[in-house]
Amino acid sequence: METTEMIEGKDISVERTGAEDRKLKFKNELCGSCGLCEKICPVTAIEVNPTGAMVRTEQDASKIEIDESKCVLCGMCSSICPYDALDLEIEGKSIKELEEYPKLIKSSEIDDEACIYCKACETACPPGAITIARELPDRSKLVSGEIEIDKETCVKCGICEEMCPADAIELDYKFPTSDDPTIASDINVDKDKCVYCLVCKKACPVDAIKAVCRICSYGDYDIKAEDSEIIGNSDIDAETCVNCGWCEDICPVDAAKVTKPFEGKVTIDEETCQGCETCVMACPCNALSFPESAESGDVEDKLHIDEKYCIYCGACERACPVNAIDVERTKINCTPIKSKSWEKAFESVKD
Amino acid sequence: MTIGLVVYPELCHGCGNCVVACPVNSLRSPEISGGKGPTDDVDVIMMVDDGVIQLKNSNLCGKCGTCAESCPVYAIRLEKVEEAK
Repeated sequence: METTEMIEGKDISVERTGAEDRKLKFKNELCGSCGLCEKICPVTAIEVNPTGAMVRTEQDASKIEIDESKCVLCGMCSSICPYDALDLEIEGKSIKELEEYPKLIKSSEIDDEACIYCKACETACPPGAITIARELPDRSKLVSGEIEIDKETCVKCGICEEMCPADAIELDYKFPTSDDPTIASDINVDKDKCVYCLVCKKACPVDAIKAVCRICSYGDYDIKAEDSEIIGNSDIDAETCVNCGWCEDICPVDAAKVTKPFEGKVTIDEETCQGCETCVMACPCNALSFPESAESGDVEDKLHIDEKYCIYCGACERACPVNAIDVERTKINCTPIKSKSWEKAFESVKD
Repeated sequence: MTIGLVVYPELCHGCGNCVVACPVNSLRSPEISGGKGPTDDVDVIMMVDDGVIQLKNSNLCGKCGTCAESCPVYAIRLEKVEEAK
């Protein structure tokens, strides 16, 4: 039996071949520097580099270091990692697929039936795991009316073109010559762009535009429901998703549902906090922020946390240089733990 | 190997940004959090002495990187160092 370590860029793998092949894989990009792997490791084989140093300064090092001479490839780190940055494979199969091992219960889903594709979740998602694709209805099908420009009356002043909010009017400007002393050769309305707002008609200084909006006059009876439909779909990248709850909270139609891996409590000692912002930068879930002062000169509010977005991973606590943050995990949501030693190990990372 | 605080006095301009930005210094001394230089009777991580940066108590460092971010000339850094035995 031999344990070997391979480092590829900042990713690490530790492998032991023998009666049973075991391979621990670490993906640096997914790591939240929370330190739970270091906490749970029964043989102190893992060292998580300083969280603040990793998020605030450029480092060549991986976020964690694994001492292959100590690692027993037990998989506890892999099971507790809320960011799935660590994974232990036994005979090529992830222990997260094996019933004998506990697995964190965490998920994020968007119900496409309820989703209105507003993209609020996509914008808010801290790791950028959400993609909303949407196809908007044809604007010309949502308006109805008539417009005509009397080209004889029109003096080609361009006022309508300048004022049209839909860029539907276009004049073909030219320099007036003695044989053709006009400033534009033509004026046209693109009826696919026109929304029949009647601004041009009201603005025209010579009343050359005849326009009517049918919806204003008769209501929207002649708009077909299917023409206003927004088609789309949502996608959450399960690998980068941190199950922080931002999508669920920000969704205006309750289409997103998130199950978090831990429950707990965060306490901030406001007197001790010096406002260095390291925790804000470290939090993979954007749960922490410094509120902007309302007016220049106002004293800013203290560090703000909204636990709606917190998964109690402890990265902030680890990042704080003055120990002003305390993260307590009161519950670990996981599938049944079948071994006493694993149960003890899971208990040990609660505080 | 571990990541620790390292200073490069030959690069330092003596501006003192790191001394004031450091949250640990700031917590230990109200003078520093007010923007003044530290007095001798407070244990601080680093201070500008005779115009250049000097580490005084690097064991107090929480490795948050605030000083490194505030330094205009990369004279204070968090980098790999041999572990202190």
